[in-house]
Amino acid sequence: MAGEKDFFLEEKRFKQYCEEFIKHSQQIADGWEWRTNKDLGDGYLSKTHFQVRNRSIPPDLKEKCSDNIEQPLPTHAEEFLDDSQVAGVCATEEVIRYEYHVLYSSSYQVPVLYFRACFLDGRPLTLDEIWRSVHACYQDRLQEGPWDTITQQEHPLLGQPFFVLHPCRTNEFISSILTSSWKFNRHTNYIILWLSTVGPVVGLNLPLSYATLAHEQNTNTDSVERPLS
Amino acid sequence: MTDDKDVLRDVWFGRIPTCFTLYQDEITEREAEPYYLLLPRISYLTLVTDKVKKHFQKVMRQEEVNEIWFEYEGTPLKWHYPIGLLFDLHASNTALPWSITVHFKNFPEKDLLHCHSKDVIEAHFMASIKEADALKHKSQVINEMQKKDHKQLWMGLQNDKFEQFWAINRKLMEYPTEDSGFRYIPFRIYQATTERPFIQKLFRPIASGGQMHTLGDLLKDVCPSAVDHEGGDLRFFTHCMDIAMCSHRIYHLDKR
Repeated sequence: MAGEKDFFLEEKRFKQYCEEFIKHSQQIADGWEWRTNKDLGDGYLSKTHFQVRNRSIPPDLKEKCSDNIEQPLPTHAEEFLDDSQVAGVCATEEVIRYEYHVLYSSSYQVPVLYFRACFLDGRPLTLDEIWRSVHACYQDRLQEGPWDTITQQEHPLLGQPFFVLHPCRTNEFISSILTSSWKFNRHTNYIILWLSTVGPVVGLNLPLSYATLAHEQNTNTDSVERPLS
Repeated sequence: MTDDKDVLRDVWFGRIPTCFTLYQDEITEREAEPYYLLLPRISYLTLVTDKVKKHFQKVMRQEEVNEIWFEYEGTPLKWHYPIGLLFDLHASNTALPWSITVHFKNFPEKDLLHCHSKDVIEAHFMASIKEADALKHKSQVINEMQKKDHKQLWMGLQNDKFEQFWAINRKLMEYPTEDSGFRYIPFRIYQATTERPFIQKLFRPIASGGQMHTLGDLLKDVCPSAVDHEGGDLRFFTHCMDIAMCSHRIYHLDKR
C-alpha cells in the first residue's frame, strides 16, 4: 500500500507493550506471565492452559463400536465415555495442555508466536491435531492469512521443539491496521492488535476486555504514539 | 573476496570422519555392522545419511523402522544444526572417527524436530538464509532473487556443488560500495552447557567512530562475562579453530 511507513517494533517498545498486556491479564486473571532468561535478561510472554476436548476415536475403532456396542473397547477409550455411545458414536474426553509464548525477533523486528500442545502423559500433538481443534471459521484463515507457514522450530530460549507462525509477513498486515488507528489518534498496543489477529488461528483467544486497554491509555497524556522508522 | 576463495573452499569441503553404530536395543534380524562415512561440515545429518539408513534397514524388519535419529554419548543430535557445529559442540575433544549412535525407535519428541522429508530440511535451510539476509540487507537481496535462484542455493548444498552454490551466494555476501558493510552481522554463539541454545543479537560491523569492529569486539559485547580474564576458561571456536582475542576483521565466511 502506498504511503505507509514500515512499523517495525523496537525491542524496548515490545517490552513496554508486554508490560501493559501483563497488567491487564492480571486484572482479568487471563493467565499470562512474563518470563525472563537469567543470563541475558531477554524475556517473553507465556501462557499455559488446559482444555478438555471431546475426541472421537480413530475410524477403524469407530467401525467396531458402531457394529456392536457391547464389544469391549480398547483400554485407553474405557474412561470418560459419555452418553453419545448410545447413538453408536464413541468418544473419549482428553485433557490437552497448551502453551503459548510470545518472543521478540530482533532479525525481523516483530513479535513471534511459539506454541505447542501435549496430552497429560506428555505425548505431543501434531500440527494437524492442533489445527483440528481450531474453530471451523478460522480454518479458512489458515489458508489466506498473512503468514507463510507454520513450521516446527527450536525455541530460541528453551531449545525445545515448538510450532511457530513465521514472522516475515507480520509487518504487512500490522502496518495497515496501525495506520488507520493513528488517524484517530489512538494509542494502540501492538501486541494486543497482533495477538488478537493471529492467536485464534492456533486456538488462542483474547477476551474482548483487552480492547478496552486502548481506551484507558487514551487518557494518559504521556503516551503519544509515533511511527517508528 | 577472490583472496578468500581458498578459505571458502576449505570451509565448504571440510569433512568429519564418522562411524555410525546401531543402538543395541534396536531389533535386528542379523548383526548390524558399523557404517563409516565422511560427513560434510556444512551440511545436515538427515540430508547426507541416506546410505546409513539403507545400511541398517537391511538388517531390520520394515515394521521396526521409524523416523531415524542420531545420538552422541546420550545426547540427541539436532539435525537442524550444521554437522560441523554438532561436532565442535559435543565431540571436538575426542579422537576421530566421531562415533554416532543410530536410532529408529523412541523418537525424543522433547529434544528433536521431526524431519519427515527433504522438504523440511530445505525449508529450514532457506529460513536461515532469509533471516541472515534480513540482518544483512533488510531482506532486499533475497527477495529480489527469483525462485530458481533460491532453488540453486539449495541444490548446490544438497549436491555438494561449490560453484553452483556460490554463484548465487556471492550476491548475498555483497554490499553497495557506498556502505562499508552489512547492516548487521548474522551470527550465533552456541554453548553446549546452557539451556539457551545460542546467543544472537543485533551487531553492526562498523563502530560509531567509523572503524571496523573485530570479532573480539563482538564477543565482548555479546558475552562480556566469558571474555573477562577472571571469567574462567571458555574457549571460542569457529569451524573447529580456536579463536584468539586479536584484531582480525570479521570475515563473513559462513554461508549465513
